Amino acid sequence: MNIIMIILIATIAGFQAYDGYGTQIWTMNYMIYAVIVGLILGDPMTGLVIGASVQLMSLGVAAIGGSSAPNYGMAAIIATALTITTKQDASVGLAVGIAAGTLGVQLDVIWKISMGFVSRKAQEFCNAGKFDAMEKICLLGPVCLFLFCGFIPVFIVLLFGVTVTNFIVNSMPAWFTGGLAIASGVLPVIGMGMLLTYMPAKKYFSFVLIGFALAAFAKLGVLPVALIGGAFAYEYYKRLVAASTTAVAGGMDEDE
Amino acid sequence: MSERTPVLTKQDLNRCGRRWCTMAVGTFNYETQLAASVVYAESKALRKIYPNDEDYKKSLNNQFKYFNTMPYIANFVLSAGLAMEDQDGLDALDAVQNMKVSLMGPLAGIGDSIGWILLPTIFGSISAYMGQQGNPAGLILWTLAYLLLWIWRTTWWNYGYKIGANFFSSMSNQISAFTEAASILGLTVVGAMIPTTVVLRTGLSFQYGDVVLSVQEGVLDVILPYLLPVLATLAVYKLLNKGVKMTYIILGILVLGCLGAATGILV
Repeated sequence: MNIIMIILIATIAGFQAYDGYGTQIWTMNYMIYAVIVGLILGDPMTGLVIGASVQLMSLGVAAIGGSSAPNYGMAAIIATALTITTKQDASVGLAVGIAAGTLGVQLDVIWKISMGFVSRKAQEFCNAGKFDAMEKICLLGPVCLFLFCGFIPVFIVLLFGVTVTNFIVNSMPAWFTGGLAIASGVLPVIGMGMLLTYMPAKKYFSFVLIGFALAAFAKLGVLPVALIGGAFAYEYYKRLVAASTTAVAGGMDEDE
Repeated sequence: MSERTPVLTKQDLNRCGRRWCTMAVGTFNYETQLAASVVYAESKALRKIYPNDEDYKKSLNNQFKYFNTMPYIANFVLSAGLAMEDQDGLDALDAVQNMKVSLMGPLAGIGDSIGWILLPTIFGSISAYMGQQGNPAGLILWTLAYLLLWIWRTTWWNYGYKIGANFFSSMSNQISAFTEAASILGLTVVGAMIPTTVVLRTGLSFQYGDVVLSVQEGVLDVILPYLLPVLATLAVYKLLNKGVKMTYIILGILVLGCLGAATGILV
């Protein structure tokens, strides 16, 4: 990985950090960034596979309403770059990537706090009649995202990452590498737990059971299960709307 | 000065759309959340409505108040508000503020659960499965679909401006029914994802003389396939419900993984 590649990858990371909040085109799509990094380093297939692992770990974990979530995009980018360049096992690159992504949460919080100053300053400019300055200072948000939440941290990690990763790997005991591999298999459980807490899991527990049975026993993939779930959802939606319109029309239709 | 002639054109609204769809959460702060982004997106259009500096300031200060909803849907809410201001000028400020406050909560609920949870979970798991097998088809489809959606999204201010605020209030019944129904789809998918995404197996085995009994295949799989992933999901669900921080749970999983690897209990 030469310095130009590192700068290119750090730029991708900067865009990823900005896109997550600004344009929001691929906010939750971390795989695409892993594939792009793979293309830069000449191995998109490894990027695809590593991106897929990170994507699975991230399912259901979203930064909603101002909460902060691990930066899985940064994790995918770093994991891909380190796995391809060090030729170590993917679980090692993933471990370093996830660690960096988890530290990325702190950057996110610092950025959000500093945006408080930017917003107040913008309002001050407004009241002073400096409308141009008011608009321009808002642009600090995307610029800081690009630099401090993407470009700079990834640049630093990649500059020292290969040496450090190789050193860590060579000095790591087997229980630790094995533990990381096991943990990376278990980590998607957090996403499942988050999804269940967001959604009315207790009220519609039957549907969790149906989905589980279809996948665990009937060995169906996620897409066919989603179609079956969509069919249930549509029928239920029709009933709910029908029930609410009869209630509005004055019919005392007592069901459920 | 109540009845005024609306001045905003399609170009103005598209400009707002482009400015919103490149800024959105890009100025997020803990006090007023997306307010500065709203100001950034609407400033050019508001300036056109209020050529007078003092009027413009009043309207901007109204937009500097706390606002947060799912950014895709915010396109509609903000443009509906803009329509009210274009119609009634400063007289509409209170109505705009009330509309934003009353709609942002319910719309964030449906927008977050569908836009940030349900769709990424479905697209993400399908793309990830194909990707693990070296097939990029799912990822390519997801990536392109969302790029097109973004281009389309920048024009949504036109719809919000036309249909106005009444539409959303009159739709509230359908919106809540839709959210309920969508959660059924989401939960079915989650049920399917527990056995397909969580990998947790034990390497324990018992030896009776010459007979070796593997706990995973001989005991657990007989009780229920994927019993350990189910139990792990249940445990994490309970912990999250008790308010335990995600970071601690991640650390806990790492420690348990290492202990499991060291003792051979987990493989």
